[in-house]
Amino acid sequence: MRALLDKATLTHMYVGMDLASAPLHTSLTLLEADAPQSSRQRLASLGLRVGTRFTLLQKTAGGGRVALVGGSRIALGAQLLRQLRAEVVR
Amino acid sequence: MALTEPQSRNLNLLASSPQLPSVKACCHTTTDAGAGPEAPVVALVGAPNTGKSTLFNALTGARVTMGNWPGTTVEVSRGVWKATRSAASCTCAECTCDPDEKRLELTLIDLPGAYSLDPHSPDEDLTRELLVGVPVAERPDLCVVACDASRLANSLYLVAQLREQGVAMLVALTMLDVAAKRGVQIDTVALSAALGCPVIGIDPRRRAGLEALAGAVGEALGEAAPTPRRRPDTSDELELDDDRFGWIAAAVEAGTSAPSEQPRTWSDRVDRWVTAPVLGPLIFLGVMWMVFQITTVVAAPLQDLLDGLFTGPVSAGATWLLGAIGLGGTWVEGLVVDGLIAGVGMLLTFVPLMTLMFVLLALLEDSGYLARAAVVADRLMRSIGLPGRAFLPLIVGFGCNVPAISATRILPGARQRVLTALLVPFTSCTARLTVFVMLGTIFFGEYAGTAVFVMYVISIHLVVLAGLVLRRTLWRTMGTEPLIIDLPAYQRPTLRLTASVAWLRLKGFLQTASGIIVATVAAVWLLQSIPVQAGEAFGEVPVQDSVYGVAAQAVAPVFAPAGFGSWETASTLAVGFVAKEAVISSWAQTYAVADPDGGAPGALGTAVLNSFTESSGGHPVPAALAFMVFLLAYTPCVATVAAQWREIGPRWTLFGIGMQLVTAWVLAVAVFQVGRLFW
Repeated sequence: MRALLDKATLTHMYVGMDLASAPLHTSLTLLEADAPQSSRQRLASLGLRVGTRFTLLQKTAGGGRVALVGGSRIALGAQLLRQLRAEVVR
Repeated sequence: MALTEPQSRNLNLLASSPQLPSVKACCHTTTDAGAGPEAPVVALVGAPNTGKSTLFNALTGARVTMGNWPGTTVEVSRGVWKATRSAASCTCAECTCDPDEKRLELTLIDLPGAYSLDPHSPDEDLTRELLVGVPVAERPDLCVVACDASRLANSLYLVAQLREQGVAMLVALTMLDVAAKRGVQIDTVALSAALGCPVIGIDPRRRAGLEALAGAVGEALGEAAPTPRRRPDTSDELELDDDRFGWIAAAVEAGTSAPSEQPRTWSDRVDRWVTAPVLGPLIFLGVMWMVFQITTVVAAPLQDLLDGLFTGPVSAGATWLLGAIGLGGTWVEGLVVDGLIAGVGMLLTFVPLMTLMFVLLALLEDSGYLARAAVVADRLMRSIGLPGRAFLPLIVGFGCNVPAISATRILPGARQRVLTALLVPFTSCTARLTVFVMLGTIFFGEYAGTAVFVMYVISIHLVVLAGLVLRRTLWRTMGTEPLIIDLPAYQRPTLRLTASVAWLRLKGFLQTASGIIVATVAAVWLLQSIPVQAGEAFGEVPVQDSVYGVAAQAVAPVFAPAGFGSWETASTLAVGFVAKEAVISSWAQTYAVADPDGGAPGALGTAVLNSFTESSGGHPVPAALAFMVFLLAYTPCVATVAAQWREIGPRWTLFGIGMQLVTAWVLAVAVFQVGRLFW
């Protein structure tokens, strides 16, 4: 099914998705962080802010993801993934 | 080993200048670095996992003293840093400085890891308070900020905030080897200029670059604090953050070069398996099983050996010696042999167990696996308000509660440590197992194994239920923070670091626990030696006629609703407070049975069965079950109390003792009252 979709359609599908549904190994830009202030600050101090480019490396136990931000690998919990929205870098 | 110039290049430092900018002074420009209260205070700060504690241990060695900071359970380490500045840090054409003048003696404090000055936990709050909250005169003379070179941008947020405050500081770059493997190269000269403070490359794990660091610190202490970095005239946090990140980005761009594409590291490849949805938890359980096995199976023979040594040759030797000087058979012999030697012996039997535990913890921490374990177990532990890594101390608790309490140090938050330390005593340790096996054999016969298994099931449920109750009453907001963990690169643990960390923790345990254990064992002996009636000699009184026995008789009715209200049983609970292993020998002593091991249901078994039958009004089985539940839930032993005292302070320790006693009594009564309807 996916093979039938062209690149433009896939790009459109991935605009503004939450991180739980974002693809792995794809360059992403963080669009929105609808998380509590303390979590946003913690993410920011780890380098993940709105506008930051990053990549999701893998899924983890418990439904989380490991994100590659700058040189850092940051594990993000499943609950947080749904509060972060990103788009695929074109 | 000093970090020499060629080594600097190996650590991908682009030292384009023959000398680092921060190290430009002659040795003669030394600061007043005398010993004692006049010695300058240097604070070691930085984000977690930047090698800060490793650096602290490397700089202070065994001269560390640990202690709880007043008002918190957060531990701040303080040590003496006796350093010799390298000749490379001297600008004399030909250094002729007196070697004594090159020596620095500083007070080094290791503050809890913090990503920023915006606290998210009591640990970070303490760091902020000590750095910028207290009056200027009470602040450290210099901050050494440990920054991970492999992810420099993330380490510099704290630097940006400290620069805004005009704090005298110096950046120590760690993890340069990891950065090099990732293709990141760092120009310390350019980075130093961009940050406005000295930058030194070090490798604390291999003790490289420490002399250069000492030189830079000595130099920085002699200079005035830098002018605070100007920030936008606004109180809007977003705008301030934008400014900081812009400053950080400019510094990183000026001082580093990195490939545009991040290469896949072997840490990433390992993480594919270790944190994977299905395999990750299995690997985690395997690691936990290994820790549990090593701390119980490997340590057990060593414990037995030490126990045999103290109860055998050492006690016999002391008895002979006291006899030779005319004190044989007196109360002095009782005090020395049954009080002091027994107390010290008991303490020392924990040493192999604690050593193994601390070594394993250090290995797991140093390798970077603990951060992964936290990710894998997070969802499970979050249900009771704890982070994933709290699983480790709870698992260890099934071996022995004492190292498990100490293992709560791996938890990042003070409240998490307190809650876990309060839950650990509900895990059924192996000492309780011996009593369960004995009672199971006496009362449940061929179903003894099932009875013991039920105790473990109850133990797990107690941990979960107590966690839920405490979370919903005392710490309602705990566990709601989403998981955000910075995963450090895997590293091969170093022998020196592992041994050093394990020794420091073991020493801390012995220093705190020794006094409490020896004092309690001696106190129990004393109470058992004091007669309540005239005509009986001190130290030669039957247990039931001693202060101890009479007190047990007074307390015994409290346990009547639980079916074990006889003084013989109640007194074993008091002895069990000292150590659960002593419960069986206490029964043996009370019933004057020759074989104190109590493993088989012989004469001792019959005596215990009769006592329970009598005290329960003919319902010995539910009474025994209630006793086992009480034994499971109340205070494990005095060594555990000592460990709690050290880790979470007296207030929470006393709260825990009270909570466990109430839980134990309520459960025991419930088990007996319901059980007597069926048995």
